[in-house]
Amino acid sequence: MNDQTMSAPLLHPSAPSPASDGGTLKMTARNVNVFYGAKQAIRDVSIDVTQENVTAFIGPSGCGKSTFLRTLNRMNDTVSSARVEGRITLDGEDIYAPDMDVVQLRARVGMVFQKPNPFPKSIYENVAYGPRIHGLASARADMDQIVEKSLRRAGLWDEVKDRLNDSGTALSGGQQQRLCIARAIAVDPEVILMDEPCSALDPIATAKIEELIHELRGRYAIVIVTHNMQQAARVSQRTAFFHLGTLVEYGDTSEIFTNPRETRTKDYITGRYG
Amino acid sequence: MNSATATAELRRPTDWKGSAMQNRIRRRYAAERRFKLLGLLSILVSAAFLAFLLVTMIGNGARGFTQTEIRLPVDFPRSSLMLDPAALAGFGADAALAGADIEGTTAAAADAAFGAGGARLLSDGAWLSVRDAIKRDPAILRGKAEIWVPAATAIDLAAKGNAAPAAEAAYGKLQKADVVRTGFNWTFLTRADSTDPTLVGIWGALKGSLVTMFVTLVLAFPVGVFAALYLEEYAPRNRWTDLIEVSINNLAAVPSIIFGLLGLAVFLNFMHLPRSAPLVGGLTLALMTMPVIVIAGRNAIKAVPPSIRDAALGIGASRVQVVFHHVLPLALPGILTGTIIGMARALGETAPLLMIGMRAFLASPPGGIMDPATVLPVQIFLWSDEVSRGFVEKTSAAIIVLLVFLLAMNGVAIYLRNRFERRW
Ligand SMILES: Nc1ncnc2c1ncn2[C@@H]1O[C@H](COP(=O)(O)OP(=O)(O)OP(=O)(O)O)[C@@H](O)[C@H]1O
Ligand SMILES: [Mg+2]
Repeated sequence: MNDQTMSAPLLHPSAPSPASDGGTLKMTARNVNVFYGAKQAIRDVSIDVTQENVTAFIGPSGCGKSTFLRTLNRMNDTVSSARVEGRITLDGEDIYAPDMDVVQLRARVGMVFQKPNPFPKSIYENVAYGPRIHGLASARADMDQIVEKSLRRAGLWDEVKDRLNDSGTALSGGQQQRLCIARAIAVDPEVILMDEPCSALDPIATAKIEELIHELRGRYAIVIVTHNMQQAARVSQRTAFFHLGTLVEYGDTSEIFTNPRETRTKDYITGRYG
Repeated sequence: MNSATATAELRRPTDWKGSAMQNRIRRRYAAERRFKLLGLLSILVSAAFLAFLLVTMIGNGARGFTQTEIRLPVDFPRSSLMLDPAALAGFGADAALAGADIEGTTAAAADAAFGAGGARLLSDGAWLSVRDAIKRDPAILRGKAEIWVPAATAIDLAAKGNAAPAAEAAYGKLQKADVVRTGFNWTFLTRADSTDPTLVGIWGALKGSLVTMFVTLVLAFPVGVFAALYLEEYAPRNRWTDLIEVSINNLAAVPSIIFGLLGLAVFLNFMHLPRSAPLVGGLTLALMTMPVIVIAGRNAIKAVPPSIRDAALGIGASRVQVVFHHVLPLALPGILTGTIIGMARALGETAPLLMIGMRAFLASPPGGIMDPATVLPVQIFLWSDEVSRGFVEKTSAAIIVLLVFLLAMNGVAIYLRNRFERRW
């Protein structure tokens, strides 16, 4: 784990700039407001995402976790009524600047969705699609290597190596979700956003994904939305608690779970509402 | 009823065995049986209609595919035909044949073989067979030859057991002499229209339909698909796109003859494209088919799960890549189904093509999209209007050809659809 942490700044040389808590700042959000039409879904949220830490977003349903997560790679652009205010940066670059290329941004900030959504193509094609459209592999052998590496990192290689030509949709739910993770890391992103990646999975598949997040930590900056308090405590180092579109509390996970500053956080974590 | 008894009733456990409950169960079963019966009945009715159509068409039409021929002995050296076999060897053969009086020779040979009036046993176009025989083998000019030529309509009908007594007698005599046969009518599949029912062919109209359908497909499919893609994937939702949507839906319901008038006004009178040409027919039918493709295409595109779009966008696919790598392939089976429905309608369309002059009598098949042509349904319409009895079975035969064309088209579509269909 330690050597990964050390090598991270070397992977992305433009990154280093120390965050307040000691991590390396990867993404920052300042005074972000998001509107759906006239309805405001996010109010004045400021947050830092660091390279070394897994950041968890928790909060009651409808509080805007997904909405905020989707502003980090501009997936909200696809919702015609959505409007984003404020400043969000990736390595210091404003991602909402007019000259920012959204396609490249989404390759750098990958996303895993709540419901596994593999393409109805072969397992190989699912993983190879991203590298292919971004021209990351020139020869077939390069592509094979990328596919294998990504599937290995996603902990799926041993299960599918003999049936790479089978349809990705023929896998089990947990395998599909790991395939989606493999697909996301195949384009070598810098940040991975996960929106409730385990909500459709059983405890064993969930454990596998959590293990995977542990292994990916440090190599990629990871942001994960979860409804499962234990999961947030297990996988993350930093936790943000959202409520009614505002960021109530953001800090070290151990701090938030053992000694929350706000009563709302405490009530939510102890299950008094939510 | 006061509230006390109401609560008391509520508290009583549900009586699943009570007579009211049994009644309800019986009614439910009866309703289900009625529904099944109705469904079965409607399937039977449509199957009966289809069977009736097929049986009558094949019964009548099958005879249209056969043709009675008479073996005509021709003694060329003795005939009035002045033709040098050597002149028919190379170039100028057609000119030499055109100059010769083959028609007279044929009539004379018939009279000689079957007695006075023998020429009337033969089809008006019998000499064409003689000409073709000479062309195939000029050597026959040196001696006697026996050539199979088409029989007159009356003899043909007599051979198929459906004629006046006089013709019946003549046919009987020919049969005794063993000079008639009834075989498959290749002429019907290779020639174009004619005034003589024994000489008509469907190939002219079939080729006209093929060329017209090709023009329609080439125009309507890409335009329809792109319009559907644009409206679903790119166009903002506002009053203008709503207006366009309503217009397209209305366009799909416009009676076809109005498209014919539109084609007449725009393509012929304004753009001065050639009359009766498959190009104009195809353009007119494309106008008619496009809305169908757009509507089916939009529905198919809408049915592609948004999660697939998210997945592709999420790893940095551009919108064009999302559309062409994911949405279009997944929507293609649905789009093809819509296209085939539109094309089948266009293939059977008569009215708009009458308006743009595709009803001309044409004795030769079209050479290209600018040549005058007719199409199968118009040909059927024209033949069904003929007085000569020989055309009745030809009409049925043409309908069979049209149906086979339609089935072939559907078959191709089903094949393509199954190829592109993805399992989830
Ligand atoms: N496309 C949209 N159009 C309009 N309003 C939306 C849209 N998506 C989300 N919202 C609203 O924005 C608010 C935040 O939604 P969001 O999906 O971010 O919640 P969430 O915290 O992810 O909830 P959950 O935990 O249930 O996934 C909700 O009130 C929701 O109704
Ligand atoms: Mg959500």
